[in-house]
Amino acid sequence: MKLGFLVDLHLCMGCKGCEIACKVENEVPLSTWRLRVKYVDVGTFPETKRTFTPLRCNHCENAPCERICPVSALHYIENGIVNIDKERCIGCAGCVMACPYGAIYIDPETQTADKCTYCAHRVASSMMPACVVACPVQANIFGDIEDPTSNISKYIMDHNGNVQVRKPEKGTNPHHYYVGGGNVTLNPLASFRVEGHSLFNKLTHLPVGGHH
Amino acid sequence: MVHESIAATNAVVTLDVALPGIVWGWIITMNMWAKSIGTGVIFMLFYLLKKYPTESASFRFPVALVSFVFINIFLLFTVIDLHQMFRFWHIFFHPHLTSAITVGAWMATLFVGLLLLLLFTSFIKKDDAQFDKVLLWTTILAIPVTLYTAGLMAQATARELWQMPTESVQMILAATLSGSATLLLMDTFVNKLSYEAKRDLGIILAFSALAAFILYMAELVFGPMKAEEVIATLAYVKSGGEYQTMFWIGQVTAFIVPFVLVLLSIVNRSSNILKLAAVFAIGGLWVVKHVWLVIPQLLSMS
Repeated sequence: MKLGFLVDLHLCMGCKGCEIACKVENEVPLSTWRLRVKYVDVGTFPETKRTFTPLRCNHCENAPCERICPVSALHYIENGIVNIDKERCIGCAGCVMACPYGAIYIDPETQTADKCTYCAHRVASSMMPACVVACPVQANIFGDIEDPTSNISKYIMDHNGNVQVRKPEKGTNPHHYYVGGGNVTLNPLASFRVEGHSLFNKLTHLPVGGHH
Repeated sequence: MVHESIAATNAVVTLDVALPGIVWGWIITMNMWAKSIGTGVIFMLFYLLKKYPTESASFRFPVALVSFVFINIFLLFTVIDLHQMFRFWHIFFHPHLTSAITVGAWMATLFVGLLLLLLFTSFIKKDDAQFDKVLLWTTILAIPVTLYTAGLMAQATARELWQMPTESVQMILAATLSGSATLLLMDTFVNKLSYEAKRDLGIILAFSALAAFILYMAELVFGPMKAEEVIATLAYVKSGGEYQTMFWIGQVTAFIVPFVLVLLSIVNRSSNILKLAAVFAIGGLWVVKHVWLVIPQLLSMS
């Protein structure tokens, strides 16, 4: 069994329900996120379009974070999830540096690395990840990518040719897929990030969680 | 900022979380800088004892001591950078050997052991023959200890500026630069080296500076031709701003000024100019290392 995630960006409407569900389920501290939805506006008025991209850990088959972790705090579990043992983590932040997707952060409360675990604790109890349950349009599809009869496998087959992963050139083999993605939504270098401005705040950078 | 955005798409991030700040900051710069000195002086002592055995004999204990101090500064900054520093022992009891951090920590620990042996043989036992035997193994181990940080940076996928081959060479050059500079300064107190030995150290310093400068310039010009992340990263030292200023201050003080001063010292047979070059090299190296460490972290990864 290899669990994977697929987000259909055609369906996502940027409600951030997944983001909040994740925060609540995993008690993610303020100023940190396991899952976030990024808005990118494309075009020039009046021909404009807003895109929404949920971003979380990609649970790579060849995970740079697992490789660089000096104490195996980041480790694979049998179902393909890249999990984290926060009791073992020494907080070196090597994984934060190694992740090409910016998916790992230092938890300011535990002073250890943390990230999306595909809600491994829920999965172990045969429940879906919190973000999947919260999504009002079923844009999040979760399941076994090695089982051709699973929903995710069928979705990938149905959308063959329009399934993307982020940064495939890094050779990480992500187990997180997007349907309807493009350069603007999946490549952080393909959009302007205006310093000091976003819709609701003027914070552009936060100090790394916690202290030394 | 340089990026792939084109006017036709006019893509702008309108809502996102704040990006994380610098993860590896000045503490890691101190780590790399101190390690360069700690291993660099060992390389230089090995060279001097081979070429100038008589006049460099009295450097055995002082160099072992300086190396021990700087390697411990390196280890101290390594540990204090950990968010859970009291779990440092996990590296020894739960080691993950694919990680350059683990391999580096083990090697550095062994290196400290060898340095203690050097201190013991030079200060307590006063046995030069045994010191030289241990120094050979210390020098050999100093090579991977110097290099492992390059491996660690190379393991940072998507920080494309840090490539193993160039970072390895830069680490070795930083060690020879700072090692020769430190020995030149140490001779102020030991005062045993002939002008020829000091000139040799000066030449090592000058060539390390020149080679490192050429590598950085090559990265600056040709790096952006390889990967989009490198274009975006190097924009921080090309398009104005604090890191551009710091980058050039570092290049000038660590490489250009010491190179010119060494040339002047050779022309004038002046040891004092060599010492000035050494001060510039050691100070400038910190700035160079810091800029190169920080700029890839300014890039949004997602």
